[in-house]
Amino acid sequence: MAIAGEFEPRIVGFLCNWCSYAGADMAGTSRISHPPNIRIIRVPCSGRVDPLLIVKSFQMGADGVLVAGCHPGDCHYTEGNYYARRRLAMLRPFLEYLGIEKERFDVEWVSASEGKRWAAVVTSFTEGVRKLGPRKAVKAEEASV
Amino acid sequence: MSLTEGIRAKAGELLESGVVECVIGYERGTDGVNARPAFVYSTDEVDRLIFDDTCSHNLVKYLLNRKGKTTAVVAKPCDARGVNLLLNEHQIEREKVHVIGVVCPGVVDSAWGSKGDKLRAVCEVCRQHVPPVYDHLVGDVPASEPEVPEPYADIEKMEGMSVAERAAFWEAEFSRCIRCYACRQACPGCYCVECFVERLHPLWVGIRIGPGENQMWNAMRAFHLAGRCIGCNQCEKVCPVNIPLSLLNRKLEKEAWELFHFRAGMAPDTAAPFATFEKDEKVGIGE
Amino acid sequence: MSGYITKEEVHRWLDGLRQSRDVVAPVKVDDLILFRRVDRVEEIAFDFANTDLSPKEFLLPATETLFRVEKRDGSVELVPRDIQRETVIFGIRPCDAKGMAALDLPYLEEPADGFYRQRREMTALVGLSCRTACAECFCTSMGTGPQDSSCVDVMLTEVDGGYLVELVTEKGRGLLPESMLSQKDAPAPAPPDVQQVPSAGMAEKLRQVFDDSYWGRLADRCLHCNVCSYVCPTCYCFDIRDYEESGVVNRVRSWESCQSPGFTKIAGGHDPRADKGSRLRQRFAHKLVYFPEHFGVMHCVGCGRCVRKCPVNIDIREVMRNVQQLSGGSDGG
Repeated sequence: MAIAGEFEPRIVGFLCNWCSYAGADMAGTSRISHPPNIRIIRVPCSGRVDPLLIVKSFQMGADGVLVAGCHPGDCHYTEGNYYARRRLAMLRPFLEYLGIEKERFDVEWVSASEGKRWAAVVTSFTEGVRKLGPRKAVKAEEASV
Repeated sequence: MSLTEGIRAKAGELLESGVVECVIGYERGTDGVNARPAFVYSTDEVDRLIFDDTCSHNLVKYLLNRKGKTTAVVAKPCDARGVNLLLNEHQIEREKVHVIGVVCPGVVDSAWGSKGDKLRAVCEVCRQHVPPVYDHLVGDVPASEPEVPEPYADIEKMEGMSVAERAAFWEAEFSRCIRCYACRQACPGCYCVECFVERLHPLWVGIRIGPGENQMWNAMRAFHLAGRCIGCNQCEKVCPVNIPLSLLNRKLEKEAWELFHFRAGMAPDTAAPFATFEKDEKVGIGE
Repeated sequence: MSGYITKEEVHRWLDGLRQSRDVVAPVKVDDLILFRRVDRVEEIAFDFANTDLSPKEFLLPATETLFRVEKRDGSVELVPRDIQRETVIFGIRPCDAKGMAALDLPYLEEPADGFYRQRREMTALVGLSCRTACAECFCTSMGTGPQDSSCVDVMLTEVDGGYLVELVTEKGRGLLPESMLSQKDAPAPAPPDVQQVPSAGMAEKLRQVFDDSYWGRLADRCLHCNVCSYVCPTCYCFDIRDYEESGVVNRVRSWESCQSPGFTKIAGGHDPRADKGSRLRQRFAHKLVYFPEHFGVMHCVGCGRCVRKCPVNIDIREVMRNVQQLSGGSDGG
């Protein structure tokens, strides 16, 4: 619940359709509460998550980005999350190197039956971002000459 | 035989016999001091070719303009890694390319009109003085490669800064970027017919120059070279406003080695990190 | 000469100007010298040859939002960019000032570009004549020279302890009142020797060799990196796009270069300058043929930045010598 004056993080979530999105849905149907700050974007597979999407999200003002997919070995497309794992393994230290705190980006494997776990993941991630405060804007701005 | 003589002899032989239509090498530039790329198409021009420590350009990029045509290219070890990269990614045909490899003494950081007096930073940490691929080699193979105790000292220094310090550092460096894309044009690994900055839907970057866009461009170009960058550092050399791009590329090179034990361009047929996986590997994601 | 001013007085004068205007001057930025707006006179690098980027960005910024369009209370409002504060560019070399005069020709020809015109009218130029010439300068062959004051409002010439001052225009006289000057019996220094290049008759000669295979061979080593266009004081091509963010549409104009692959790609996919040779030839044809034929002045001021910054040593002076040779003339000096 937004309290006037308090910082509400804006979090973007990329969730794979088959496992993590279903898991998030299960949290909903089970009426498990979690902070509402996450805006979920459904993708077919975590392997579809292009690092450009993640960096662009930060550039457009996201305070945190969370990627969720099937557990390795359970990918609906067999291998997609193995590729995602490699790509995001290189991206994560790189984001921190660029000056984005490591608590602002995370990758979690969440299955379709892990509704409770999803709520815990979102709660912990949101609170971690809230503690950091808003991401200092490196947004689209007019460069001054 | 000096490196220059060796290159001229080989170039003459290849052109005479018709093995190649063109030899890409180096010649002296208009300042009388520094080298520049040279394209030689006939035997009576081979005496234009030289090799010395001002030959800092990566000529392998030009192979992408001569697809399907027979070409010889003078390649330092770092440049030759580019040949392996382009072979791995099926951009050039091995039979059409003849690599004149050079055992490289290191090249200097030069500006037009004056010869540099120090080796380029990448040369100082070089552990590869013999090209990993060549059809002909000029120069004497050293007995061993030098020990380089801290090849990533500059990266570790960056890693030791706080997150806020790094954010401020990059914002200051990227603020000079005028998005000329010289870095992309000089890079042998950048050859997409449509670069992501030219894409309209989705609009990743656009034409506006600003802090967000500049970070997006520089960071994501580096990331598109993760596990592919061969460390020639042409990008940083051509940048008109001296953005330290090697600090981005070599960070990813370090990660590719630590996570996947991979170095780009060492062989033509080893799968690049993002093109493969191990089912049970632990790389710090989702654990 | 209108008079003399000491270095300390120049500092005081600039400090005073800063109160009501943006003072832009050469500043050391790591290993580069760039024109920047200064907050303190101490930031200015008085001892420099020339800046790495030209000052054209203060008339034609590398990126600029021309206007924004917003929906407000049911109606649509267009808010153009408006410059409120005047600018003084201090320390501009005669070649760069000549470059600005060249930019005026396409941009102020009716119908004029209002955004350029506003910046131009709100900008005053305080030039610094050249005591030495760089190895790559060739301004005297391109219609200007190291002491050419025709394109600035005030020209300063460095002498012992201060500067000889020439108040060139009304704007200049308003900027630096004559009462601030003293008289000094210092002779104006002789202009430095500038290397000559054979620019005579270049337009006609280049047309003669337009179809020569020379251009393809020259372009072999060109990376089409765009650096030449971006450091040049006279290049002026741009791209305009509209971007919508949160309900506001911004029309953005940014620099572009004719050297970029795809610069001339048109709807339908045809590209009249798809090959490297024709793109590179276009650069020299525009500068040495088309612009002079249309506007009567060269589109190059001989500042030498492209010579210095081209990573593969494509040298306009060498091109002019080659064109002379190929068209049957001597290659001059």
